[in-house]
Amino acid sequence: MLGLTGYLLVSAILFSVGMFGALARRNVLGILIGIELMFNAANINFVAFNRYLHPGQPWGQGFALFIIALAAAEAVVGLALVLAIHRNFKTVLSENLTMLKG
Amino acid sequence: MIESAVFGLLSAMILVPAILAVTLKNIFHCALWLVVSLTGVGGMFALLGADFLFVSQILVYAGGITVLLLFVVLLSGSPKDWVVKQVNAQWGWGLILTGIFVGLLAALFRKLPAAPVPNPSEPTTARLGLLLIRDWVFPFEAISLVLLAALIGAVHFSKRDKTSC
Repeated sequence: MLGLTGYLLVSAILFSVGMFGALARRNVLGILIGIELMFNAANINFVAFNRYLHPGQPWGQGFALFIIALAAAEAVVGLALVLAIHRNFKTVLSENLTMLKG
Repeated sequence: MIESAVFGLLSAMILVPAILAVTLKNIFHCALWLVVSLTGVGGMFALLGADFLFVSQILVYAGGITVLLLFVVLLSGSPKDWVVKQVNAQWGWGLILTGIFVGLLAALFRKLPAAPVPNPSEPTTARLGLLLIRDWVFPFEAISLVLLAALIGAVHFSKRDKTSC
């Protein structure tokens, strides 16, 4: 069980849990939580491949570092958007945001 | 032997809180369970020998992003959001889709050749510092611009209106 396959399996399940959260939640904040879980699953994959297939090389870990920085930027902008949505629409449920539907 | 025990504990610490974080009704509890799951991911990094990433994960994710998330939950939530149904009308399709996805991936992993067991890892901070400053200096500077843009965008979006600023 341990080894590269174990890490990949945990990462795949974590990605699927995050994908379910992003697909099925009504709350915009719940969707953001799902997206964060998906980022972390991708990071586990990068670091595990780095450790098992290219040990001693920094590339996978460097890429994971960049993903962490970009996820921070994404979370900041996303949460500011949620605040703006809540101020203008008085809701955080995604199906009430039908302004573009006409 | 002890490594596989730690791996099993960390897997449970990642997956169980992750499932709770996407299924619980109260979004505040979801954010708190997300902290536990992200800390488990940090432990997974430590188990994989990525010490600098372990610290970054704890600082940025478990410390920074989730505190921000909790602030927004408290600022934007109302107590009536905690009793309404939390899944949309297509949640069954979402469950089927993610089940197929993880099944396909697991079937794919069975065909992987066994990777060799690596040597005990050495500290990675010096290598990562050289990587960021020497090899990837252009992406490093670009990401500082991205972070600056995110900062300005967050201030712009969360500003109350044009007159109060």
